Amino acid sequence: MSNDSRGWRIALVPDTLMNPPHDERAALPDVLNLLEASGHGVLQLPQPGEHRLLLAVTADQVAEYSHHGYAVLAIGLRGLSDNGLHWRRLAPLLRNRGVALPPRHIVRRDGDVALESQRLAAFLANYDLPAEEQRRWRV
Amino acid sequence: MKQTMPRKVALVANCLLNQNAKVCEGARYRGLVSPVVEALRSRGYVLQQLPCPELAFAGARRWWAVYEQYDTPAYRAHCRRLALAIAPLIESYLRNGDEVILIGLDGSPSTGVRFTSSKPDWGGRPNRPEDDWEIVPRRGVWIEELEAELGRRGLPPLPATGWALDMGRFDEAGSRRDLEEFLDSRESGGAGPRNKDSGTS
Repeated sequence: MSNDSRGWRIALVPDTLMNPPHDERAALPDVLNLLEASGHGVLQLPQPGEHRLLLAVTADQVAEYSHHGYAVLAIGLRGLSDNGLHWRRLAPLLRNRGVALPPRHIVRRDGDVALESQRLAAFLANYDLPAEEQRRWRV
Repeated sequence: MKQTMPRKVALVANCLLNQNAKVCEGARYRGLVSPVVEALRSRGYVLQQLPCPELAFAGARRWWAVYEQYDTPAYRAHCRRLALAIAPLIESYLRNGDEVILIGLDGSPSTGVRFTSSKPDWGGRPNRPEDDWEIVPRRGVWIEELEAELGRRGLPPLPATGWALDMGRFDEAGSRRDLEEFLDSRESGGAGPRNKDSGTS
């Protein structure tokens, strides 16, 4: 894949972190900017609610990535139901597809924004698949 | 979903937020297609990512394909399942009076909006030495099925355009101008969040 620029890293992101409400924008890290800087793609999770089919579709995609050398992680937001990650429904869907649960980082709403941004950036920078797995797939 | 003030919502092809969804050698960015994200966010659009139909159907290591190869009953059924998964969200936006637009991927056999790739004789051993497909003006299979599902729900056609990533030679500056003209024409044309009382069905 020499002519290909993919980053091989993907983040599950709640809708609220992708599209923060206007009055919360300054109080939350700019998650899309941080993901762009770290080379992650996004899989958007919907707002809290019943999304059985959409979450099953998301689990199918995570399974496909996880089985083919992509590093998948999740970013939640404290204060949302299940931190916005639909984990109670998504986790069994992933287990049923033979997928290890992605590591999670939870953004705090009441924290210092600069510090929260640094914590998230460090999490994004530090997680990837073991080198052996990378070599196996990423050629 | 709770009612909110009308917003501007952009339905965005999956791979515009995640280039890992692209077929091998198709990714031009590491993750986000930043010019698209910037153009939409700077104009106040909420982003709503669509599912990727090809990844879950043919896998991360699928071969390249053209419209005719995906124009099958099984793939269309798969696309209809994805449409059923995302249509309730789109319907809730429209019922809330939001302005909803669609940004697809021109040239894609699945997500093309203005153009898709076509070569009726592609098939068998994948040994094409040159990029010999043709670009034809029509929707990709996924967009056709998504629009059909929205139509079945009595929802109006969405204003739509495509980011020209899969048109052969990729011209980022031209694609950016094209997208910005589409977005700005909506602003200057008076388009905006729809009046909640105007109805959408």
